[in-house]
Amino acid sequence: MKRSPELKPNFWDGIVVLAVIALAAAAALTVWQSRPESGTLMVVVSADGQEIDRFAPADLENEPRTYAHNGYTLTVTAEGGGLRVAEADCPTQDCVHTGTITHSGQSIVCLPARIVIQLTGGQPDGDAVDIVIG
Amino acid sequence: MKRCFILILAAALCLSGCGKQEKEASAQIFAMDTVMEIAAFGPQAEKAVSETESQIQELEKQLSRTLPDSDVSRINRNSTTPTTGIAAGTWALLEAALEYGDATDGAFDITIAPVMDAWGFTGDSFRVPEQAELDALLRRVGSGEIQMQAESTESVALGEGQAIDLGGIAKGYTSDLVEQTFRANGVESGKISLGGNVFVLGTKPDGSDWRVGIKDPQNEEALAVILPLRDAYAITSGGYERYFEENGKTYHHIIDPATGYPADSGLLSVTVVAKANGPDASGAGNGAMCDAFSTALFVMGEEKALDFWRTSGYDFDLVLVTADGRVVVTAGLADRFEEVKDSGYTYETVS
Repeated sequence: MKRSPELKPNFWDGIVVLAVIALAAAAALTVWQSRPESGTLMVVVSADGQEIDRFAPADLENEPRTYAHNGYTLTVTAEGGGLRVAEADCPTQDCVHTGTITHSGQSIVCLPARIVIQLTGGQPDGDAVDIVIG
Repeated sequence: MKRCFILILAAALCLSGCGKQEKEASAQIFAMDTVMEIAAFGPQAEKAVSETESQIQELEKQLSRTLPDSDVSRINRNSTTPTTGIAAGTWALLEAALEYGDATDGAFDITIAPVMDAWGFTGDSFRVPEQAELDALLRRVGSGEIQMQAESTESVALGEGQAIDLGGIAKGYTSDLVEQTFRANGVESGKISLGGNVFVLGTKPDGSDWRVGIKDPQNEEALAVILPLRDAYAITSGGYERYFEENGKTYHHIIDPATGYPADSGLLSVTVVAKANGPDASGAGNGAMCDAFSTALFVMGEEKALDFWRTSGYDFDLVLVTADGRVVVTAGLADRFEEVKDSGYTYETVS
């Protein structure tokens, strides 16, 4: 039986295959790079909604960090693999009562100082959550 | 020609796939005595978040008890004299608050405000009031005294010596409005967290459910249970959120309108979960309902709360964390909740 020459792959078919592979790889890379939860665990500190500091939790082991805003001051220290507000001069002390946070998604809020300390990123684990309530 | 077609098709597929990686916009707002986190995904995410921020600021102006020109401050100041010129949002919320007050037989009551003031929970000057002081204040508590007049000009008048605080329902109502704003801007994936109140729209951008963790009331660092949710409200009330200690005793901020004292019902936290309101809703919806019921059911205690869940006719589910170490989950969440390893709690489902 005679084979049709149309079905024989030629140079231009190869170019098309390579172009499709390149497009797929580029799309996959875009998706992978835009994953928000990738990367290492970071501490993000914001005051009145504006980010004022960002660092790795381990950085606190050398030196506590102090933040002042809206007339109040609080000090953040490393503790038990995470961090906590060790001291604050706010009237409610809710930030101090919050205790230690260790997992991505957890946060400490000081309402009087209008400061939020959040853990973000890190490797997801089985108990990882997007939002904590209560 | 065929080769060109294949290339164009491949490019179109890749581009449409990239389109799914929608723009994210987020914001953090301090309002209503809490911090609010908003995130939206979609082509109009930034507009949705910006409109939400304005909406929250506007609501606070109407509902705050501390801003002198808010609707709530004017109603409290005018007391038994009818207050007019009330914003549509305040009116809708007042109607909802009175409905939920009736439904819960007074376990949720916006006229508890003077009692909250006496305990210092309004201004953070905590104290334990004398029983005689509480007795006098409790005689004024009762939202049945509030007169809402809808004919000709809308007006609201309080009973003698009453004051209202919408703090127990305002954040839930805010999340109702955020749902509408998100939907109006074509947002299909988003979340808003207002203190203990959460609303999630759609799924996460990757198509999976939002994982909502409920704090362990006995351990700030841990979770008691995890709920994978989509298109839902989840609102928690717990005594551990705000409290003070005096002479070795802890006093929390959820006051039982029947006694004037912090509710001591054997519950550590109550989470109320309900479906999203949907695209055609307006005004107060399931967000406001979950907010009011989480407080009321905390006051009621386990047995009454479960009876209410079974018989009230409202569509919602519950997660109760009890003082004796149980997490009680109602039937609608039975197939989705996740236990937390080593939490120390035993998990029960009820129907």
